[in-house]
Order: sequence, then structure tokens, then C-alpha cells
Amino acid sequence: MIEVKDLTKTYGNLAAIDKISFSVPKGTILGLLGPNGAGKTTTMRILTTSLAPTSGKATVAGFDVVTAPQEVRKHIGYLPEVPPIYNEMSVISYLRFVADIKEVPESKKANRVGEVLEMLDLGKMSLRLIGHLSLGFRQRVGLAQALIHDPDVLILDEPTRGLDPKQILEIRKLIKSLSGQRTIILSTHILPEVSSTCDDVIIVDQGKIVAADSVENLSQRLAGGKILDLEIKGSADEIGKALEKIDGVAAVKPLGRESRGVSRFEVSTDGSLETREELFNCVVKNKWVLYQLSPVGVSLEDVFLKLTTKDTAL
Amino acid sequence: MNARKLFAIVRREFSAYFASPLGYILLFAYYLIGGYFFWLIVSRTRAATMSYIFQNLTFIFLFTSPLITMRLWSEEEKNGTAELLKTSPLTLWEIVVGKYLGACSFFLVMSAGTLVYLVFILSLGNPDLLPLLSNYLGYFLAVMAFFAIGLFASTISENQIVAAIISFGVLLILWVIGVAGESAGGNLGDFLKYVSILSHTDDFYKGVIDLSHVFYLLSLIFMGLFFSVKVLESKRS
Repeated sequence: MIEVKDLTKTYGNLAAIDKISFSVPKGTILGLLGPNGAGKTTTMRILTTSLAPTSGKATVAGFDVVTAPQEVRKHIGYLPEVPPIYNEMSVISYLRFVADIKEVPESKKANRVGEVLEMLDLGKMSLRLIGHLSLGFRQRVGLAQALIHDPDVLILDEPTRGLDPKQILEIRKLIKSLSGQRTIILSTHILPEVSSTCDDVIIVDQGKIVAADSVENLSQRLAGGKILDLEIKGSADEIGKALEKIDGVAAVKPLGRESRGVSRFEVSTDGSLETREELFNCVVKNKWVLYQLSPVGVSLEDVFLKLTTKDTAL
Repeated sequence: MNARKLFAIVRREFSAYFASPLGYILLFAYYLIGGYFFWLIVSRTRAATMSYIFQNLTFIFLFTSPLITMRLWSEEEKNGTAELLKTSPLTLWEIVVGKYLGACSFFLVMSAGTLVYLVFILSLGNPDLLPLLSNYLGYFLAVMAFFAIGLFASTISENQIVAAIISFGVLLILWVIGVAGESAGGNLGDFLKYVSILSHTDDFYKGVIDLSHVFYLLSLIFMGLFFSVKVLESKRS
């Protein structure tokens, strides 16, 4: 649905994005992840035809963003970083205005405005002035605007920016529910957003793609279940010593004592299942009690920091 | 240009003037000052003509039109709504012309006050109708040219005050440049006089419709719109 090839945008000598290539299949939610200033917004502005690329090619729904911008615009719904709303307008008159300029057929306009109001739970707010709404509602009006012409592609620039935790959950749920037929790109620098919402993730840093994969693969590739979290009831010193002697265990890091004599350990292993069995047997042999033995996945946060702080090849 | 999309922009732009106190203040001040001038002129000259009042009103717009046009694009940039317009299936001409006509509609509402003067003149005196028409035409074209220049200034700066200062500066130069032309003399003087707005509005207020003046003012309007489109185009790259 979206194809990007060697896309570059330079400002003088500074490359905001440098030969970025990726593709987003229909129905996928792609997370564009990166620190501030990585080139996320630039990429989105090019895809939405608001900015022209210096070189490279990008197509949305089969239309080139440079040579057929009007067609691209008909297929995208775009929520910029700052929701593009007019504070002096009421929610409903704003949506009618957007429906007009986005070519929603006149006969369907009233219906469509109603649908979108309902979808975003803005019904009660429809006659209020946008300037009087809370940040969360404004963001919803921004989303409503992006959805009014029922586009195939949604491009959302930090859709949860400035919202409180409850609103963030709501918006994420909403974005999830919008996928399916639609292709969605969302940018964020908040990691849980990607793991909870997206199918695929692209990590950008300083204008370049440093990693691109599915969310699961990305965290697995780095961790691979090599680190185990153990909780054992017994003497912490003895347990630590015994565990270290097991073949396949590289290091044991005590994580402190929980209640009722239970100690926690982080055990680095070679990743094999045998080592896990040995750990279990060791506990049984010493007549300790095993409360927990679970692999720790490396969070996206670790991947992100690792990738954007130094050049670690994945 | 698509009529529905264009009209949507015109309507939004027009109603935006009434969403802030500025629109009402401008209207109030304009009616007040216009009315005062009208009373002053008529009571002094006792003449059934509107040419003096239109001359004065045009002069007032030299100062007030930057206030009316400064927000046209600057505000969109500042609020981030420019992004909505630029990523909607609109051409830059639709955006620019829509905004321009929106501002001109507000100008029409401001000018509705002159109908009152017209009623007075027609009922109390016996004026020639053609000069009145010429007065109106000159007034409309001149102010619309001011607006086109103001719109252009607004595309240049994100800051409304800066936009207002730019458009006021350009208008003032175009206004007084004729005086410089008088003293310069020669070809340069002729050129400067030709560029001056003043030398193209005088005839209208004398009751003469000269097509060359119409052409000059229409060209100013077109240039204002054209360069606005060009500025917006350049912002994409």
C-alpha cells in the first residue's frame, strides 16, 4: 500500500532523512519509532504530500507523492503532530468543512459526519467550540478530521501526544479498531505504544533506518530467552552458589529478597532447555521451593536504546 | 477550480472574521469613521457626490487592510491548520483564491455602510449615476488590490504582526511612490508615477473609468495571488 524507496530530504547540508526505504502492506499498522529529530515527521510529511522529497520515490495506494499528489491526498488521512483544528469553529461545523474540502459526496456528508462523531465519541461535544475542548477531545477531533473521507491509509504523527494515561489507552484501542482494511503508519517515541499497537516497527535514528522488523521478532532477536527470572525459597547465598555451578549458567545476579524467605535471581544462560531443567533439578535436590522460573524478553526499550545510542548490528 | 471546495474555504474564512473581536472592532471603527467623514464632507461641500468619501475610505483601507489580511495565511501556519489544507485534495489556487474571496466578502460587509451614504445622496440630491458607479468601481478595485498584496505578505511570515508590517510597507510605498516620481521627472519619473496606486485611482473618483487603470489594478490583484501561490509552492520543497 505504501512503498518508499531511497527517500531523501536534505536541508542545506543536513539530511533530515537519508535514503529511507520501506514498504507497508495493506492492513498493517506500522510504528515509526525514533528519538525526537530522527526524521519521523519529515517522512510523514513527504508521504502526505505536504513536503517534497529531495530525491527518492514514495507511492501511496499506487500514486506517486510527487507526480500525483492530488490522488495521494484522496487516499490518506493525516493527523499531524499538532491537530489541525480551528479553535473558533464548533466540532460539527469543522467536520463539515473538512468533508467539503476532502470531497466527501454532498449526499453522504451528513451521514459521514455523524458516523465519525459517534466513532470518536464526540457526539455530546458536536456543538462545542473546539477551542473550549480538552486536549484529549481536540486530539479526537484531529482524528475525526483524518477519518472523515474514509481513507485507505492513515498517517498519524504522535497520536497520543499530550494525553493522559486513560486517554492514551482509549486512543490506542481506537487505532487498533481502525486497522483491518486500513493501512496505518504511526510515529512515536513512546515504546509501549509500538508494542501494544503496531504489527511492524521501523526504528529510525538520525535520518536512517536502524532496524525494521515485526515487533515480536525485534525483541526476540536480541534476547532469545537467554535470561531467566527465578524466585526460590531458601538461603540466598546457598542458592546463588549452587546455581552458578550448573553447566550452561553464565552468571547469577541476586535481585534481592522478597517476602517469606523467597529470593529473586536473574540468571543468564546459554538459552538451552536443558539448562532450565538443570536449574529445576538443582532446586529440587536442595529441597528449596521454586516459585517462578520464566524467561525475560528484552523489551523494545532495550532494543531502542541499544540501537540509537551506538551502532550495534542486529 | 472546484466550486464546492472553493466555497467551503471562502465561507470558513469569512466566518473566521466574526469569531474574534477584531472583526467586530474593525467593522465598528470603520462604520464610525466612515460615517463621521461622510457627515463632515457633505455638511461642508453640500455636494451630491461620493467621490470624496470614497477617496477617504480608500485611504483608511491603506491602514486597516493589513489588519484584515495579516491572518489569512500566517494564522494557518501558526495553528498547524496549513497542514490540513496542504494535504487535502485542494490546489494551491483554490486555497489562495478561496482565502482571498473570504477576505473580500468581509470587505463587502464593511462596505455595506456606504449604501447608507448612497441613500442619503440619492434622496437629498440629484447626482449623476455614472460617476457614482465609477467611484464604486475604483474603490472596490483599489481595496481588493490592497487585499491581494496583504495576502501575499501573509504567506511570507508566520507572524501576523510581521505580515501586517510588510503589507503596510508595500502599500505605503506604492501609495507615495508617485510623489517621488513627480520630483524625479523623466522616464524614471513616469515609471514611478505609473507604479503608484494613487495615479490609478484618481480618475475613478473624478468619475472617469479608464480601462488602463482597471487593467493596472486587476494586474496588482493577479500578481498578489500569483506570488502567494508561488510562495506556498516553494514552502513544499
